[in-house]
Amino acid sequence: MATYTLNVNGQSQTVTVANGDMPLLWVLRDHLGLTGTKYGCGIEVCGACTVLVNGQPEKSCDMSVKEAVGRKILTVEGLAQDVDGAKAQAAWVAHQVPQCGFCQSGMLMSTVGEMKAGNHGSSIRPNNLCVCGTYARIKEATQTL
Amino acid sequence: MKDIRETETSSGDEKGEGISRRDLLTAGGAALVVPFVFTPGGEGAKAAIVPGSGAVGAYIKIDTTNTVTVVIGATEMGQGILTGLSQLVAEELNLNWPQVRAEHAPASTLWPNPYGNPLFGAQLTGGSTSTRGWYAPLRQAAAIARDTLIAAAGKQFGGVWTLGQGGALRKGTSRVLFSSVVVTASGLTPPTTAALATTTRFIGKSMPRLDVPSKTDGSAVFGMDVKVPGMKFGSTIHAPVQGGKVKTMPATSGGARLYNLGTAVGVLADDTWTAIQLARGAASQITWDVPTDPNAADSAALAAHAQQLMTSPTASVFVAEVVGSPRIPPAARSIDVTYSLPFMAHATMEVMNCTANVTPTSCEIWAPTQGQQFIPGLAASITGLPADAVTVHTTLLGGGLGRKFETDYVAEAVNLSKQAGVPVKLIWSREEDFKNDYYRPSALIRVQAAVGSAGLGITNMIYRNVSPSINIQRGTLSGNNPEDTGAVAGAVGLPYRMGARRIEYVPLLPCDVRLGYWRSVGESYNTFAVESAIDELALVAGRDPMEFRKGLVGGTGGSPRSLRVLKALETLTNWSVPPPAGQARGMAFLSGFGSFIAMAADVAQSTAGQMVVKKVYCAIDCGVAVNPGAIETQIQGGIAHGISATLWGGMNFVKGKPQVQNFNHYRMLKLNEMPQVAVTVVPSSFAPGGVGETGVPCVAPALANAWAKLTGTRVRNLPFYPGATMGDG
Repeated sequence: MATYTLNVNGQSQTVTVANGDMPLLWVLRDHLGLTGTKYGCGIEVCGACTVLVNGQPEKSCDMSVKEAVGRKILTVEGLAQDVDGAKAQAAWVAHQVPQCGFCQSGMLMSTVGEMKAGNHGSSIRPNNLCVCGTYARIKEATQTL
Repeated sequence: MKDIRETETSSGDEKGEGISRRDLLTAGGAALVVPFVFTPGGEGAKAAIVPGSGAVGAYIKIDTTNTVTVVIGATEMGQGILTGLSQLVAEELNLNWPQVRAEHAPASTLWPNPYGNPLFGAQLTGGSTSTRGWYAPLRQAAAIARDTLIAAAGKQFGGVWTLGQGGALRKGTSRVLFSSVVVTASGLTPPTTAALATTTRFIGKSMPRLDVPSKTDGSAVFGMDVKVPGMKFGSTIHAPVQGGKVKTMPATSGGARLYNLGTAVGVLADDTWTAIQLARGAASQITWDVPTDPNAADSAALAAHAQQLMTSPTASVFVAEVVGSPRIPPAARSIDVTYSLPFMAHATMEVMNCTANVTPTSCEIWAPTQGQQFIPGLAASITGLPADAVTVHTTLLGGGLGRKFETDYVAEAVNLSKQAGVPVKLIWSREEDFKNDYYRPSALIRVQAAVGSAGLGITNMIYRNVSPSINIQRGTLSGNNPEDTGAVAGAVGLPYRMGARRIEYVPLLPCDVRLGYWRSVGESYNTFAVESAIDELALVAGRDPMEFRKGLVGGTGGSPRSLRVLKALETLTNWSVPPPAGQARGMAFLSGFGSFIAMAADVAQSTAGQMVVKKVYCAIDCGVAVNPGAIETQIQGGIAHGISATLWGGMNFVKGKPQVQNFNHYRMLKLNEMPQVAVTVVPSSFAPGGVGETGVPCVAPALANAWAKLTGTRVRNLPFYPGATMGDG
């Protein structure tokens, strides 16, 4: 067992896990109870597990808990406290983007990551997978960002 | 979340009469409750108002804050049903939208099931039936609630009251809230019928979805997100080939106890990742009893067998529809073409998962499920408890698509919790999800058809579908359904004017690939064949595909709603004007799920020679459009789903072994590939039709028809690009 201290949504959180290789995704979901971040594929393809690490979108299924130490982690639960995050959330509501909604946490985190990288409007193109086909509404929503 | 106790399970009266809904009771307080019992035939309902808190098994709850909660028997899986059905209640009660809430109903063990879809009685979500089934009964229930509240105000305060806005009643300048008359209302006998509202504040309006805010801040609870105190995290491993059962297994692996679940082996841990690792680690130590004929779950062998049955004089043929004696004249004015489609995985974004807490006296289940009807009985059989000791909470679904109609994953969670004696949240790995689906059947379809000498009508058609049968595999064929009508859905009862025809189905047996219902089911393959063939016939006839179809549905004995939708598509596309240079347009039409839909696609060719979908147009008449915005998004979703399936979709089996294990080898449409979509919802006052599945079937034939026009190449075997990966494109 090893104990790690993480900075998640601006708060210091301590977790004790059996293996430091455990992906951040499962530490967030199962040990910190932050279930807004989703498991979709576990192989960095679908993007449902995307979080921001030091402001950049990262697939949390591929970042170990030990790698996450010392970095600022933002999840969908903390998005409203971020200026760009709150804007993106409002756009998602205004354009009624989610259908099943399962991929949308990751979509939002990727979108906010792109905003922080200086992208706006039609240059924001999250490469996450959505099976419901919310892409059309995402394009409308991101057009306003 | 447990908010209903049904103290009597049933009166046993199969006609649904005499079941006293007064048997419903709650923890105290008072609320207006308008419960109905529907018979499967949909004949009528009984209303009653019973004492209770805001927590009674019924459809409408009014609490002390005047919040109105609609309790919904259908499952929210992205289609917006919680919102759409709540709009009906809001209309009848003249509410304000911010005071409206919706929640999933518990699974009921009563029969008739008060939460069963009035169309067929069972508490299931599928077949695009939720709005169709609930539209009239739920409005009636809400109208009865309204009249009872009005009567209660009169009794409590005297005088004649009328309905106000925002959950209130009015008399002159006086105004009282619903919440202040609920106790009185609960003592009244409600009327058996009530006039429906004539307002349109909600019905026909794109009301904001009730579930959207929670789906942008991480607070929405999907099955995977359930938290129960003291729970362990579980995962399971299944046989590497279809149909395997556990033969031998060690008691432990990697230091963890293994649980024999019959068709799977389970393991528990302190988090999901560890459980998945342990399950994978155990795989090599387990042996499986597997089906003896590996060809029965081998795509190539099944395809060869289907070819043989297509022409075999001894094949077991179900004739699903026959008119006259069709004869196919040679060449010139006829076609004889064969289409094929692969097995498909559902690949819902949320993998199969379920949380269960089995104790010696109770079984509580939290499941992302479309199949509540099956669960209490299933859990009772596993636990040995009576069915009414089983409580089922339906969570939000991270996609259903027909996969979560099944209960295999629910059974595993219940079994694991029972054996381990602790609450268990079971989550499959994505690999187990792909390998243990209930796959859309593959299909081989031959269409022989001829057009008349004037090129106006279809004079003869012989249609044969050879595909594995979902119903035969499940043993659910009955006297009413001896022919597996689901297998020919989309090929029978066509709205086109046709002469002699024979529509045949030949079940492909044996098939050990596990089969299931994939968004749009039979239409997902038959509409591809039918609508591709219609275009091929139009070509033979020398007719424009739009004109040809309009001719087949127009005139005396035609289908006015079909014609109207085709004309709406003609207008939407500006049909007579071709798309930009380098593009071609194809179309398709479907009458299905109680709706009429016409679709066109403009496609181009990439530098690599592959199809690029530029724009998709859709005209739909789905009867009364409760929420046009939600309809538009369902169509957008159907188009995205259809494009993925047409261009890349497919699950191949080699000697029982599914060849795709994760999204990297299951190519799906990406955001930058999403075409422009234009949707016209044709104004219609007919009863609501289905929408959820309706957007899928036309996509494949519209794309194939467009591609044939663009390139001269007719693609009859789907997908267009087998073996694609997510790295492509």
